[in-house]
Amino acid sequence: MLPIELYEGLESAWCPGCGNFALLKAFKQALGELEIRPQDLLVVSGIGQSSKFPHYLKCHTFNGIHGRTLPVGTGVRLANPELKVVCVAGDGDCYGEGGNHLLAALRRNVDLTLVVHNNQIYALTKGQASPTTDQGQKTTLQPQGVPYPPLAALALAVSQNCSWVGRGSATDPGHLQDLYKQAITHRGFALLEVLQPCVSFNRVNTYQWYRERAYRVEESPGYDPENELWAYQKAKEWGESIPIGVIYRHPRPILEEAHPALAAGPLVRQQPKRDLNQLLADFF
Amino acid sequence: MPVDLNLLIGGAAGQGVHAITLPLAKALMRQGYWVLGVQDYQSRIRGGHLFNKVRLADRRLFSSREGVDLLIALNQETVTLHQQELSPQGLIIYDAAEVKELPGDVPSLALSPENLLPGAAEKAEIAVNAGACGAVLGLLRVPLAPMLALLQETFGGKGAEVVEWNVQAATKGYEQAGALAGGLQFICGYPMTPWTSLLNAIALRAERYNVVVEQAEDEIAAINMAIGASYAGARALTGTSGGGFCLMTEALGLAAVTETPLVIVVSMRPGPSTGLPTRTEQGDLSFVLYASQGDSPRAVLAPGTPAQGFALTAKALNWADRYQLPVIILTDQYFGDTQFTHTPGEFPEVQVDRALTTGPSSGTYERYAYSADGVSPRRVPGFGPDLVVADSDEHTPDGHLTEDLAVRVKMHDKRLRKLKGLVQEMGGITTAGDRDAALTLICWGSSLGPVQEAVARLEGEKTPARMVHLSELWPFPAGPVAAALKGSKKLVMIEMNASGQLNHLLRQETGIKVDHLVLKYDGAPFTPEYILRGLSGMV
Repeated sequence: MLPIELYEGLESAWCPGCGNFALLKAFKQALGELEIRPQDLLVVSGIGQSSKFPHYLKCHTFNGIHGRTLPVGTGVRLANPELKVVCVAGDGDCYGEGGNHLLAALRRNVDLTLVVHNNQIYALTKGQASPTTDQGQKTTLQPQGVPYPPLAALALAVSQNCSWVGRGSATDPGHLQDLYKQAITHRGFALLEVLQPCVSFNRVNTYQWYRERAYRVEESPGYDPENELWAYQKAKEWGESIPIGVIYRHPRPILEEAHPALAAGPLVRQQPKRDLNQLLADFF
Repeated sequence: MPVDLNLLIGGAAGQGVHAITLPLAKALMRQGYWVLGVQDYQSRIRGGHLFNKVRLADRRLFSSREGVDLLIALNQETVTLHQQELSPQGLIIYDAAEVKELPGDVPSLALSPENLLPGAAEKAEIAVNAGACGAVLGLLRVPLAPMLALLQETFGGKGAEVVEWNVQAATKGYEQAGALAGGLQFICGYPMTPWTSLLNAIALRAERYNVVVEQAEDEIAAINMAIGASYAGARALTGTSGGGFCLMTEALGLAAVTETPLVIVVSMRPGPSTGLPTRTEQGDLSFVLYASQGDSPRAVLAPGTPAQGFALTAKALNWADRYQLPVIILTDQYFGDTQFTHTPGEFPEVQVDRALTTGPSSGTYERYAYSADGVSPRRVPGFGPDLVVADSDEHTPDGHLTEDLAVRVKMHDKRLRKLKGLVQEMGGITTAGDRDAALTLICWGSSLGPVQEAVARLEGEKTPARMVHLSELWPFPAGPVAAALKGSKKLVMIEMNASGQLNHLLRQETGIKVDHLVLKYDGAPFTPEYILRGLSGMV
């Protein structure tokens, strides 16, 4: 157990009451319980309110560009398989701008954790619909209401045999802390979506809205996260009741194992093989 | 009498044009000829006319040339399309099963599978190919034994995949070999002609050289992945062609602002947009110089010879590490697909300079510490408690985002200051011809060979001329370039694009105005003859 003060970062610029505070605290507590030192962890992020997350922590940090947290995290893991990598993104960041990278990540199964802060809105740009805004919800850019349904990202992940799929909520921080621990220690690609109220730009999906709907799925009868069909049904469940917890587990080989060069550890510690005579014989 | 012969081998895609070219070129080379081969193909898998040209001479070759002395036709189209290129002494060797119409006044030699390899109809194409090679060598009075050994090497018991591999390895090895000699550890990319061949060639050797090769889902992923790998300490390279580089530009700025070393190979083809996918051009210089928002530091290199391709790729990896910025290598379809003849010793040992800080922790490490030369000590995760914090936002020396405008100016100045050090190392000027000549031909990248030959031919015609070739283009080595051009009375810029992009750069950086431009943008490579025609009236 490491003290959470160890992970203290910059003072936050999030709005007072932002759902992100609960995520930050639960994440630090999970790190402390897992005894992951700041120097053992890299948090990668993109652009959005969620992407300020690593600045409010203390650890290795790569805050890149909008939508691209996954390719950066993948590149890091394919260069240093000893580094614990957590990619943080928002719903717009990951499911919108970076959608293709999510599709590829589901197939690649790199050993990293993707945390998607889902506030169902574009908050940094002040209130446009995101890929997870519910159909009919009125926004600054869709004053008549969003004309199409939200992306069922977790169902997509289950359908592609994502090796770990879960959902947490800012309204249940103790439960969320445990989910962080499970996702981070899972070997393979873990997608953890976290419901996170935006108090400034989403007046529909409030703390109360989530509290009334989110329920701990592992406490419900017939809980069966190894079963693809059960998991798919749970991943599709949205509206009056929203399951939170581990939804799907499907262990499979990680991509790092497919690259022989990584068997000897981080590339930076390896001496490149570059014998000139062999090279010339090989190429000419 | 000096030997200088041009062979053209043409047929439909899939007929074995490439498979014939390589053993033939190798056999000629092993007999002591200097050989240079160029490819011309369409953007399709099978069908469509394609041809290779092989030029052989008893002296070093830098360029292909116009005219055909020996036309090897695997189909009728080859004869129809190329017969007007035949020189007065020209000869046609043709596949009798495919070619029915020949020009009446040209000597020709028919090959048929039945004559060459009785009872092996399923190998008819191979038989005709081998027969054509044999006929060429017979005409040149080259012994057949080495050729047969090479054909065995090419076809004997190996699958089509292996044959393809052999062709590519021999034709596109310079940057790859330079990258591996330079300690490359990570390469990723999205397939796009003509860059793909480089990625393929490294992939085939990944295990042997301990390189991680990953196919990205798009070019945006490719460059971000390479940035991630480099942040983690791997020597990383990605690449693409024009359209793919359009997608990479946002992350080009990310590499610049996070000061992450990265080498990007941009293999040019004619644009805008899809343009001519399998043809050649030097039309992306202005684009790579200015791509991405803000004042975003980068270096730009453009090799002109295989030896430069090898050395500059290794150098690019070192400069990327030393100056912590993206280095772009500009190449093109012509350069990548041309087979040159080499001598041992052209590819020297290269040093690997990682410029990494891996010693004990200072306890106060700052990734972007201000420094006199703008270069901050670079650490990577995994070497103790120092935290490596990188940010695409403007940031304080410790890597965290800031909106302090004074810090913004100081940090921006620090990043841009690195170019002042880098430009001191830039040069890359190759000259040829008469150093006191009044006429100077300026060129860059893959135009070196044709321009060098044009200069040699001018000298042969008692017109002194000189070539000044630039391979290190940004930050622009203004001093050395101005010095190299000093004393010339007439300056001619020779470029494979429509607007004269190096001409603009030269003017911008040195104030030098050239007298004449020779430009080409039809997608086919320069020839010495084209350049000489462009100079008519000047000389």
